[in-house]
Amino acid sequence: MSLDDAFQAFVIESSELLQDMEDHLLAFSSATSPEESINCIFRAAHTIKETAGLFGIHGVVGFTHVVESVLQRVREGSLPMTDALISLILECKDYISRQIGAIQDDVVIMDDGMIATEKGLFDQLCRYMKPGDDTSGVCCSIETEASAGAEESQPAGAQPAEKVRDAALGNPTIEAKDDAQMENENWHISVQFSEDVLRQGMDPAAFLRYLNTIGKIQHIVTHFERIPKADEMDPESCYIGYEINFKTEADKSTIEGVFEFVRDDCQLRIIPPHARASDFITAIQQVESAGHLKLGEILVQCGSLTSAELKRLLGLQKKLNEGGEKARLGELVVQDQSAHPEVVQAALHRQEQNKHTQVKTNQTLRVDAVKLDHLINLVGELVIAGAGIESGAKELGNSRLLEASLTMARLIEEVRDSSLRLRMVQIGETFNRFQRVVRDISKDLGKQIELEINGRETELDKSVIEKIGDPLTHLVRNAMDHGIEPPEVRRERGKSEIGMVGLNAYHESGSIVIEVSDDGGGLNQKRIFEKAVEKGLVAADAVLTPQQIYQMIFEAGFSTAATVSNISGRGVGMDVVRRNIESLRGSIEIDSEEGIGTKIKVRLPLTLAIIDGFMIGVDESCYVLPLDVVEQCRELSELEQAQCRKNNYINLDGAVLPLIRLRDFFEHHGPAPKRENIVVVKHGARKTGFVVDHLLGELQTVIKPMGPIFGRMRGISGSTILGSGDVALILDTASLVERAVVKESSVVTSRRLACP
Amino acid sequence: MNALVQKKAQVEQVQVSEDDQYLTFSLAGEMFGVGIMSIKEIIEYGSITSVPLMPGFVRGVINLRGRVVPVIDLQARFGRPSSPVEKRTCIVIVEVAGVEDALDIGVVVDAVSEVMAIPASDIEKAPSFGAKLRQDFLRGMGKVDGKFVILLDISQVLSVEELSGLVGHLDEVQAAD
Repeated sequence: MSLDDAFQAFVIESSELLQDMEDHLLAFSSATSPEESINCIFRAAHTIKETAGLFGIHGVVGFTHVVESVLQRVREGSLPMTDALISLILECKDYISRQIGAIQDDVVIMDDGMIATEKGLFDQLCRYMKPGDDTSGVCCSIETEASAGAEESQPAGAQPAEKVRDAALGNPTIEAKDDAQMENENWHISVQFSEDVLRQGMDPAAFLRYLNTIGKIQHIVTHFERIPKADEMDPESCYIGYEINFKTEADKSTIEGVFEFVRDDCQLRIIPPHARASDFITAIQQVESAGHLKLGEILVQCGSLTSAELKRLLGLQKKLNEGGEKARLGELVVQDQSAHPEVVQAALHRQEQNKHTQVKTNQTLRVDAVKLDHLINLVGELVIAGAGIESGAKELGNSRLLEASLTMARLIEEVRDSSLRLRMVQIGETFNRFQRVVRDISKDLGKQIELEINGRETELDKSVIEKIGDPLTHLVRNAMDHGIEPPEVRRERGKSEIGMVGLNAYHESGSIVIEVSDDGGGLNQKRIFEKAVEKGLVAADAVLTPQQIYQMIFEAGFSTAATVSNISGRGVGMDVVRRNIESLRGSIEIDSEEGIGTKIKVRLPLTLAIIDGFMIGVDESCYVLPLDVVEQCRELSELEQAQCRKNNYINLDGAVLPLIRLRDFFEHHGPAPKRENIVVVKHGARKTGFVVDHLLGELQTVIKPMGPIFGRMRGISGSTILGSGDVALILDTASLVERAVVKESSVVTSRRLACP
Repeated sequence: MNALVQKKAQVEQVQVSEDDQYLTFSLAGEMFGVGIMSIKEIIEYGSITSVPLMPGFVRGVINLRGRVVPVIDLQARFGRPSSPVEKRTCIVIVEVAGVEDALDIGVVVDAVSEVMAIPASDIEKAPSFGAKLRQDFLRGMGKVDGKFVILLDISQVLSVEELSGLVGHLDEVQAAD
């Protein structure tokens, strides 16, 4: 990994961490465990600071450090997490993300705006700092940094923060109890030699000499108790032991190594100094991927336990278990005094924690979107090639080839489905972003608004998700600004003062529906209509359905808002929303009831790459309808045929079915066949019949974009290449129907205008 | 060795003069030229899928090795009646600058004649009238053997912005009709 790659990874990781931070901040008030939330927020800030430090990006380090210090006070419980503080930290989060975005060559390029923002945020943060804390120092450093560019040494407040960091890495409840206990600063070594030591040529005094080479024996007590009476004593046997207070920088296994030659001939117990417990805890936090490690292994890795000790204890555990006792290794370690209880607890916690993250990492795999798109494109080609083989096999009439091609077609379909599924993303993340939007805007508007999210787990194609963000933001902003009434009005109307904006997503007949709802004032049909007449969009005497009136709000420059705010009301936006949605082959429906609320339904295709289609023939041309809109298809009876030539509707199961004759609509002039067919298409609640020449059956189609020349064309959503190599056009039934409606109503209006 | 040097010189010559090279073709008896740099390939006329609800200059779309490429009728684009499809009719695939990246567009021509070098000195400024073509479509008039070749500014003739605008406009007009 080159440094550039590493830096990219830093940028990506930071943005994820910041997002995490934001999520936790927004969910803070409703969090089940605020401690955990604040820990996550703290950890995110901390990790960013540390990583930025690695790259020497002092601007980010300096600022994040201050944020971290404030967060630390919250963690300690000496500062309440107020709403104001949440907002401030959110702003800080935005600022950090701006800083990271502005990094060039390891230096944060600050413009005047950023310097001002940083100063402002910093002043606010200072207010939350402990008086006499490291603020002044940092303040200086920040200021000098802002003015001098990037040159900055370690922030003055680093000292306390270091301690904070150690604790921050793990669960804050597990902290070394008494780092300050002076007498426990040293190791305690207790050794009892066996009687045979001297016979094996070992001199206990030699070990003491050797110990002095790796540290300093502070105090020593010799055990004489075992020395028997003089007549019973064997001078060749060793009866003594030592209790040694030992000061050293060496780790446990080095100390143990001193006694290696007598390891089997003595009882050795090395008790680590209390002061070291926190070191072990830190070490445990740093043990990578502890999830699959056993507790013992973790302790050994961090140096709290030596492998020999572990072996002995495991043996003991086994023995006890055989004896019917249930012994846990952790308990044994503590009983044995081989390690501090805090250390063991930290190790256990770490083990648990890593198990969690392990599950998570196993679930996802980061793949470059470009690679995925390439795969999808290839699969698309494969589908077309497969269709070519199938039609070729049919032509040849070779049954074995046909069978093989059918098997392949089935496999291709599976490959297609699963590769498309790779790109499916839950919409939840997109929705969650609106927590922030709603929070910020409701503040600006002075309204109390809550966001209710449903259907987070609904999946749709990443390419759709990417494009849906902007239109959704617009709709949500609109709902908040125009939909939800001011608190006074709400009170008058007997509603709760807290407005609700809802986001919901679900699948419905092959498409995904995203709903943006509010419990506000609803759309005022009369006002919209008047405005539309005023703008010359409709004739004053036109009779429109409520749906048609509502659709007016999507016209360019249309706004009924009396005042223009910086959030909405300028009348730009809704038409952009509609255009964006339509470019995704989607449609918008509006449900509204005055005084109760509005619900905007955005209907989108699940994916933009491939659809199951139904092929029809008109004249010489082939067209494809998306299969999920086709409800039924059949031959038109002669009676119906005669009827539909006169009026463009027939009676379908007792209901009126308006018809579109594609032959006329598309101006095909070839001879009509004797019998025509009808395809009934359903869109939302509306059914329409398309009169066509031939029904050619189902097929899978890869949507090929038509290119920018056809970008503004409506009625045709794309094209596809058939097995024969010909191009077939995919019809966008919804906009065709809309077009037919507009066409007919304009004919009617012009007639009316012609003879008033 | 000598031959190699010569070849190299030739190649260089070709490269230097590529800007002056034009693919010439005929449309209703008139000779037109388009800079060779924007020509991608020439294919046989056949299996065009017509697109309904389109202005007349959109002949349809074709499958060009798995990509869907629009085909423009130049005659209609010039506001003249389309030529009938004959044996020598073919589609010239031209690359033009799109909104985001380069884009292939096919144009129908009656017959492709040849690639010829027309040095800048032999190109006259387009007359302000008389060619019966929009001024901005013209790059100039090339003189070849005493005859004129109308050199087209293909980026204007096939301006993506204008074409899509016309498509969109027609869409609205038709809908409103």
